[in-house]
Amino acid sequence: MTATVVRASGLTKRYGSFTAVDGVDFALEENRIYGLLGRNGAGKTTIMQLLTGQLFPNAGELEVFGRTPAEHADVLRRLCFIAESQRYPEDFHAQHVFKAAPWFFENWDASFAERLIADFRLPLKRPIKKLSRGQLSAVGVIVGLASRAPLTFFDEPYLGLDAVARHIFYDRLLEDYAEYPRTIVLSTHLIDEVANLLEHIILIDQGRILLDRDAEEVRGSATTVAGARAVVEEFIGTRPVIGRESLGGLASVTIDGRLDQAERVRAAQLGLELAPVSLQQLIVHLTGTDLAGTAEQEAAA
Amino acid sequence: MTAVATATAEPEAQMTSTRFRPHEILRIARLHTVNPSIFFGVPWMILGFAWLISVVIAAIITGAGAPSDQVQEGMRYSWAVLSPQWYLVAVGVQAIAFTFSFALGFGATRRDYWLGTSAMFVLVAVEMAVAIATLVQLEKLTDGWWIGAGMFDTLWYGQQGWWFDFYSTFALELAVLFIGAGATTVYMRWRMRGMLTLLIGAIVLIVGCVAITTFAGWWPQVVSWFAAIGLVGVFSLLLAFAVVAAVAGYLVIRRATPR
Repeated sequence: MTATVVRASGLTKRYGSFTAVDGVDFALEENRIYGLLGRNGAGKTTIMQLLTGQLFPNAGELEVFGRTPAEHADVLRRLCFIAESQRYPEDFHAQHVFKAAPWFFENWDASFAERLIADFRLPLKRPIKKLSRGQLSAVGVIVGLASRAPLTFFDEPYLGLDAVARHIFYDRLLEDYAEYPRTIVLSTHLIDEVANLLEHIILIDQGRILLDRDAEEVRGSATTVAGARAVVEEFIGTRPVIGRESLGGLASVTIDGRLDQAERVRAAQLGLELAPVSLQQLIVHLTGTDLAGTAEQEAAA
Repeated sequence: MTAVATATAEPEAQMTSTRFRPHEILRIARLHTVNPSIFFGVPWMILGFAWLISVVIAAIITGAGAPSDQVQEGMRYSWAVLSPQWYLVAVGVQAIAFTFSFALGFGATRRDYWLGTSAMFVLVAVEMAVAIATLVQLEKLTDGWWIGAGMFDTLWYGQQGWWFDFYSTFALELAVLFIGAGATTVYMRWRMRGMLTLLIGAIVLIVGCVAITTFAGWWPQVVSWFAAIGLVGVFSLLLAFAVVAAVAGYLVIRRATPR
């Protein structure tokens, strides 16, 4: 039986007339890797700031390790959240961050941090202000990994990281997670990069949750059917379509829902190609539907 | 469901057993000293530079033929000894504007952050007060660093003994640090709107007091009151102001949010 680490219901955060998080309900289970996905400005960082007690919600209920997170030392000591736009004390160098970290994270592993610093080739004696975007991301990634906090947040960890560094993050995270299981929440809009890491997906758009499902389920939940346009249209019939592209007599249509064995055989007999949909494609379909929806309505009217 | 229930009960027990944890407050003070140049290095650099200039000026004037005792008398009005105060206002501001956001990211509570930061302010104020009060005595002992230069034995310093110099510097340092930090908590909680309200409120209050005193013709009473409380009284008022700013800052920061 797994424990629930976070439980939010009707969680709302408003800035004046703008609602950044609009009455969301979700729960995070212990020792899983969550992807908090969504477009820029969807409310990802705001949700993480609420969960870590940095912001105060306007409405709704929130429990992290059984309590409201804000101002509860016993909750906060189990969290680690280095925001994408994290501010550091004036004139801080990266080495100062790692020097102070063990005072705040009881599970801090200094040798692991050192290894990561070498892996990412992070210059320790350079002022944080002078670091590149990728190096800044590396600071957050190293703190997040080496802190081994029971609930760790990574806010856009891939921002500015080069291909090698992204790969290092991916490997080290999985390695360390296997050895020291914990709950990890990873926010990003670069979905394909992290798709294989995630066990559970929470997709948000304009402050609302569009999807809260197991990652495996999400991956298999849509299929792209490609072939001659007439044949494709006939095959998909009345299934819900989430994406449609066509070129001349050919069409490629993405449908919501999985196909059973008989349907697959039939598709093969009709000469249609079936392809799995990447998480990124699916999410683009889901978060882009607003536009498509209004366009269709306009056409209908 | 049972797992959730135990997870809820356990921290509850921890909370009540050890509510006051000095370690969690002291680590904030340590956080401020990770990079010691901010609280210790730069103020002393400023003071050292001001001292150097004072000595050079004294050397030039004396070298030009002015009598050394008159030079020392003239330099009584030098404000060089106060030069680090302006920087310390900025330190108070930055402690909240930058370090606060960082400490929250590292899982500190606002309460512990403010208490730890206050401890750091007291430490810095004591350190500066001891050093300046002692330097005043040294300057008197060496008769102005052997060339009649006056930097520390100026203004109100060097007239009522070491303890008074200590007390006045302590009150002043604490006031500048807490005013800087306290005003910044207002920004962190209510942003620009809060800052403008605070600023306009302070201006209205000061102008209002001046106007009332002027129209009621109370200035002679005010002057004699200040004369009655003396310098010790004035610095005690300043210290009281620092304490008010510290308490207000605590109340404001409890709901402040990082940028």
